[in-house]
Amino acid sequence: MSDDPTTLATLSEQLADAVATAGAALVAVHARPRLPSTGVHWKDGVVVTTEATVRRDDDITVTLPDGRRIPATLAGRDGGTDLAVLRIASGSLPVAHLGDPATLRPGHLVLALARLDEGGPRAAFGAVSATGGKWRCWKGGEIDRWLQSDLDIYPGFGGGPLVDATGRIHGVNSGGLSRALATTIPVATVNRVMTQLLERGYVARGWIGTAMQPVQLDPATKQRLKRAGGLLLLSVEPDAPASRAGLLVGDVVVAIDGKSVDGFDQLLDVLGGDVVGKKLRLEVARAGQLVSIDVVIDERPRRGR
Amino acid sequence: MAMSTTFLSGPAEQLRARVVGIAHGRRGRGAAGGAGIAWSGDLFVTSAHVVTGSHATIVTPAGRAVPGEVVRRDAERDIAVVRAPGANVPAVVTGDPYGLRSGSLVFAVGHPFGVRDAVTVGVLQAVSPLPRGYGLNGKGSLVWIQADVRLAPGNSGGPLADVQGRVIGVAAMVVSGVALAVPAPDVERVLAGLT
Repeated sequence: MSDDPTTLATLSEQLADAVATAGAALVAVHARPRLPSTGVHWKDGVVVTTEATVRRDDDITVTLPDGRRIPATLAGRDGGTDLAVLRIASGSLPVAHLGDPATLRPGHLVLALARLDEGGPRAAFGAVSATGGKWRCWKGGEIDRWLQSDLDIYPGFGGGPLVDATGRIHGVNSGGLSRALATTIPVATVNRVMTQLLERGYVARGWIGTAMQPVQLDPATKQRLKRAGGLLLLSVEPDAPASRAGLLVGDVVVAIDGKSVDGFDQLLDVLGGDVVGKKLRLEVARAGQLVSIDVVIDERPRRGR
Repeated sequence: MAMSTTFLSGPAEQLRARVVGIAHGRRGRGAAGGAGIAWSGDLFVTSAHVVTGSHATIVTPAGRAVPGEVVRRDAERDIAVVRAPGANVPAVVTGDPYGLRSGSLVFAVGHPFGVRDAVTVGVLQAVSPLPRGYGLNGKGSLVWIQADVRLAPGNSGGPLADVQGRVIGVAAMVVSGVALAVPAPDVERVLAGLT
């Protein structure tokens, strides 16, 4: 026989060690009927899971690795990034060992972990499929890193961690962000969203209070202003940053902070992240002339929840 | 050769030589319904749902059809035992599923959709009753080996093994995407008195 059973057994043991290490920081989250989901004890007294698996705001409990079931309170949820944060009693279980998702490359061995009941942690096994930079998911949230794997996210595995072969946690697996491959919300995004949810219970998103549509400028204006197109203002909400700054329906925003605009991406980029209170300099084509208008980003009003 | 190039090929080769096809009836008419395991002597273990009658035909790794008789059936545990004298297939070595931890590498051999002796690889999830919320018509309270390994029709009755190729369970079904196998000690209990 040509293989070396010792090293193969060693790999198997290493994977089981990784499950045991990372599994020590996992809880089962009881926040929906029937099947619990998985939560990661991200920092002392704080558990992170996926927003879609938290179906109620009250009467939430978590099962600890030792089988005890303790109450948890919802600190906040963010549908945009599919993350929810719970508070539990301090010192209940070990805190997650976090990794750096930037070190993961396609082909690396990874595990998806879950805790569903009083039993031990559960594992699924696979490889990193694709990595990349920042992206915006269909639910609207900004995710700091593209991280997909061929792992099966079984029922109850949502909210559980993506773990490398040494047991480090690289993010939280979401069953809802993408269909073809398992998608992981990376450490940086979890940290950012968790901080905001703990501070104020929701994620503040930048807002200027307009409806817009990408347009091409007419040839004469294009020639004169040396701009190809921009975002046409279709409506301006009253008592919003745009109306306060004097923006008018019919204006075409052709540049933001000196960078030309040809679609929504540039606008969404400057409205993402921690931007409330920041000033934007808009270059606007109005009646064939370029005018410069400063808008102070406000917080998007929260309708319902 | 390094483990990275051979991976499970050695244990898989050994185990594949010990897995048989199971067809219905005396003559083995119709496609092989599932897989079977050369357990000891002329006894073969498979799933009860694979052999519905009192006779079954064993198809050896060499492709020889050997008539067999169903000598034991445990419908509750979904295990059947077929005696096929003269099949002459080397027996497997069994292992202890309770000795494995979650995340341990495991592999299955079976005939998914009729593909002979296909190997699928994954990791152990748990050896326990099923989690609440994974429905299984009342059988969820039995102890199952639960694994993240791909099974399909045709894997039923085939082995689930550890990295050394020791059989830890008999592939039974898939529930909520999770592969379920009957733990080897439970299979031994069904076999009690036969060997």
